[in-house]
Amino acid sequence: MKKTLFAAALFAATAVGSVVPAFAAPVSYKIDPAHTAVVFIVNHVGFSNVIGRFDTVGGDVTFDKDAVEKSVVNVTIDTTSVDTNHAKRDEHLRSPDFFNAKEFPKMTFKSTKIEKTGDKTGKLHGDLTMLGVTKPVVLDVTFNKDGVSPASKMETAGFSARGTVKRTEFGMKYGAPAIGDDIQLLIEVEAVKS
Amino acid sequence: MSELLQDPFVQSSVLPLLVGLILVGVLHLLRRSLAAAGIAAGFLVVFVLVIGLPALPPPSSMGKLFWASALGLLLGVGADAAGLRGRIASAVLAVWLAASLLWIALPALDSVAAGVTVLVLLGTAAWVAFARGSEKIESPTAPAASLLALALAVGGTALIGSSASIAQMALALAASAGGFLLWNWPVERHGWGLSGRVATGIALLLAAVLALFTQTQAAVLLLALPALLAGRVRRVIPQGDGLIGRAASSAAVTVVAVLPALVAIGAAYALTGGEASPY
Repeated sequence: MKKTLFAAALFAATAVGSVVPAFAAPVSYKIDPAHTAVVFIVNHVGFSNVIGRFDTVGGDVTFDKDAVEKSVVNVTIDTTSVDTNHAKRDEHLRSPDFFNAKEFPKMTFKSTKIEKTGDKTGKLHGDLTMLGVTKPVVLDVTFNKDGVSPASKMETAGFSARGTVKRTEFGMKYGAPAIGDDIQLLIEVEAVKS
Repeated sequence: MSELLQDPFVQSSVLPLLVGLILVGVLHLLRRSLAAAGIAAGFLVVFVLVIGLPALPPPSSMGKLFWASALGLLLGVGADAAGLRGRIASAVLAVWLAASLLWIALPALDSVAAGVTVLVLLGTAAWVAFARGSEKIESPTAPAASLLALALAVGGTALIGSSASIAQMALALAASAGGFLLWNWPVERHGWGLSGRVATGIALLLAAVLALFTQTQAAVLLLALPALLAGRVRRVIPQGDGLIGRAASSAAVTVVAVLPALVAIGAAYALTGGEASPY
């Protein structure tokens, strides 16, 4: 996710190059949890798709406009904060059947590479660590906007990311494939200059 | 057939019962003194079929449970094959069980409650390891009934507590023990040995995972502990003469042993309202 943020900033730099200093120093951002959502969608036995989210997400981005490949994105998700609007199911999701939250309370994403695919779009490559297993994932990221937020009066960058991961690759095999293996991710992030 | 094997009910009952029956039968033919090893072996086979072979070194408690169980089975088979008995066998069991419990529990030892839970588990492990050491006659029915009851209690409690894979594995262990019991009913054919006691230890390891890594009301499992007294129950219940008499007394021991497990499951149900995860 931080990589995504980084990519967003990169795209922002491209799009609004006239306002970016020629040799800008790396800028640090922190993810704003109040305006960030990590949502997942999983097929339920073919009948429907269950939607859930993680309520506690944090992270930071170090964005270097002059050398974007050196920028760093780190995101941490609290697996105990999984929320599908059903307490008993959430309890199950925190159990060893799924996120095993007691043993693996954190899920992390660390960016590794960004590919630009358009003026405001790109592919964010990174390592997702879940259940103690680290696998590379790729997210399609769209830079939305940056600038001073009229609400917070702080330098803010915003972006959206979409992607899919296979949960069984991380050892989360319970119920698959009846409970879908492919997990769609919908990520909306605002980050403020720290 | 593939769809049938995907059914959680089949995975937790019919499949492990058949696997247990077959493995105990094979061991019965190969070396009768090792027949009780069929229970733990059946559990491991079903674990691999249902959950898959865990990585080594295992990243999670369930993986540790599998590999600790596999090591226990090896120790049990080795000890039984060598004719190891008495205090030495009990000590081997105690060391394996305590080490396995601590290995599994270590990441969860972050509170007083977790510490107390581990102490209770270690105390129960000591009971399992040493309580039977003094018995001169090794009847398999009572300890197998104890195992059946403990595994049922863990499985039922886990099911109510929305921890399906633990529930499935515990019920698989119970079913595997059921297969062993069927081999020894009405006529007791096999010893229990260290292999059988290791299987009881596996039930404790399952209880540890349930208690330490889920939000299940695992304290109710304390209500199932009287099941470990099945050996004493067997001494109290009159041993009938003839085939029918022996069958009846063995069945009575098993039923009495299972009662505390039903109480524990009932308590878990009452505490949670019986609502299960909708998945």
